[in-house]
Amino acid sequence: MADQADQSRRNFLYVAAGAMGGVAAGATVIPFIGSMLPAADTLAASKTEFDVSTVEKGQLVVIQWQGKPVFVVNRTEEYLKQVDGHDDMLKDKDSKAIEAVGAEWLTAENNKYRAIKPEYLIVVASCTHLGCIPLFKPTAGRKDWGESVPEDWPGGWHCPCHGSLYDISARVINGSPAPHNLHLMPYKYLTDTKVVIG
Amino acid sequence: MLEKMMKTRLFGWIDERTGAEAILKSQLTEYPVPKNLNYMWNFGSLALLVLVLQILTGIFLAMYYKPSAAFTTGNYTVAFDSVERIMRDVNFGWLIRYMHAVGASMFFVVVYLHIGRGMYYGSFKAPRELLWIIGVVILLIMQGAAFFGYLLPWGQMSFWGATVITNLFGALPVIGEYLQQILRGGFAVGDPTLNRFFSLHYLFPLLLVAIVGGHVHALHVVHSNNPEGIDIHKDEEKIPFHPYYTIKDAFGVSVFLLFYCYIIFFNPQMGGYFIEVDNYVPANNLQTPPHIAPVWYLTPWYTILRSFESKLIGVLAMGGSLAILFLLPFLCKSAVRSARYRPMYKILVIMFFIDVIILGYCGHSAPTPTLKLIGQISTAYYFGFFLILPILPKFEKTKPVPEGI
Ligand code: HEM
Ligand code: FES
Repeated sequence: MADQADQSRRNFLYVAAGAMGGVAAGATVIPFIGSMLPAADTLAASKTEFDVSTVEKGQLVVIQWQGKPVFVVNRTEEYLKQVDGHDDMLKDKDSKAIEAVGAEWLTAENNKYRAIKPEYLIVVASCTHLGCIPLFKPTAGRKDWGESVPEDWPGGWHCPCHGSLYDISARVINGSPAPHNLHLMPYKYLTDTKVVIG
Repeated sequence: MLEKMMKTRLFGWIDERTGAEAILKSQLTEYPVPKNLNYMWNFGSLALLVLVLQILTGIFLAMYYKPSAAFTTGNYTVAFDSVERIMRDVNFGWLIRYMHAVGASMFFVVVYLHIGRGMYYGSFKAPRELLWIIGVVILLIMQGAAFFGYLLPWGQMSFWGATVITNLFGALPVIGEYLQQILRGGFAVGDPTLNRFFSLHYLFPLLLVAIVGGHVHALHVVHSNNPEGIDIHKDEEKIPFHPYYTIKDAFGVSVFLLFYCYIIFFNPQMGGYFIEVDNYVPANNLQTPPHIAPVWYLTPWYTILRSFESKLIGVLAMGGSLAILFLLPFLCKSAVRSARYRPMYKILVIMFFIDVIILGYCGHSAPTPTLKLIGQISTAYYFGFFLILPILPKFEKTKPVPEGI
């Protein structure tokens, strides 16, 4: 009997059935992997309001947005001056490397401040290397920070995990393992001091 | 005793329905093993013991552990509190948790020695390549299981360790971001992460059981290597596994338990190496601890990661340093197996072991420029070792191997 069967037709059926089964198995994977992506309520909890006037001059606070930490700094006159003079030390002084470090309101004049109002810097606090929260070391030089920062330290942040350095506008300094400046996130001022993030 | 048992009527009844006698004979009482194995051959059975202990203690911990990052009072969370409750209120909870946490470290001690044995005596060479490859798969799954487990107490090290490692996956091009979100279930490590890690932490050890089964099966097809690294043909060079090696393995188990129990009862944190001190501080997603490092068994790979300026290259190097283990049987071209008869390989492989210890030390310490340089040199040697192997037979004059044992 077996040798009467048309083997090539039979093989075609095997391959066709096998391929359909493969497609079905592949399609079944989609809902399972999909279920592991962020759920709808996780995605929805995405706006945070904050009153920047609660931050004292020279102070930094860490708030939460989408479960991520966010820095809000009230920069003094002194700190604002520290954004200049070390362009050659920066990997990406104009915040152009990737979308996440820029914002549509950045202009040629204000992009060294990376803020809508220069004194209030608001950035995502996760080190762009592997996500630790950098330590705030705002004053220039080694006086306050010792060996943990370089001699020509312009003031900014130092990441404790693998030593990335950022300036006072959270722009990454050459030689850091972090590839990018700290990310900006969409935010706008509702009133003079109230911002909504997200 | 086994002989007697096999003669009972009950055994006869089971045997007729399962073929148990043939299995026991071929796998134990008549399974041939070289007569010259040294104590380095004890670590396989010890690994099996620790796996069983981990699963047993884990199942009991899971009766009280609660995977939730919801806040209780202060900065404490349900998960953190449930572990503290296991430590303080649950009967013998402290013992079971220490058995589990210390067991994780001991698992790696045992398995690293087991792997080192294989490298030194050339056990990865033909015909045992697949056996070795299955072993590397076991190592990767173990590392995954331990990584998932370490998040569960939801302490500072749990949280920031998981943040750093899930960020690693984010560095991969194209799929990175998805992979990271799939691991985290959100934009940052949080409650969804904790839940899925608990689920996976349960799954991975059970996967291990199946794969270990494959490992042992592969072993029983090609049989054990031995310290001389030669093929064994004559019957008088072999002894049956039972009773000779069951008794030797049992002796190994008692020595192991001595160490294991000493640590559990007298020094469960091992000075911060087995349970990191910062992990008794509840997770705080707004503050990174001043110095974060993975648990000791992951630090060599962490150093390789840190040795590169570029994040992507660091991640690829770390992945590569594990992946290259798969290729070892094909990179090593020498016809002689054991380092006993390979003078140059012997030096290189011992230096490799020391190198991995140095890498581990660097990864555990706070980064300084000197340590970074030492880490980079050690990373270079790590890869250099594997790359020299294919050309080594050109330079190396191996010693004559013995005819028999
Ligand atoms: C391959 C075997 C396993 C390894 C290497 C392993 C490793 C770990 C590690 C490193 C921790 C964190 C310990 C701490 O700091 O307290 C942990 C916790 C935990 N594991 Fe496992 N584990 C294994 C198997 C299992 C199994 C099979 C279960 C069963 C469900 C389990 C359940 C748990 C639970 C509930 C915790 C949280 C309690 C605690 O932190 O002590 N584990 N595991
Ligand atoms: S996470 Fe900041 S330097 Fe690595």
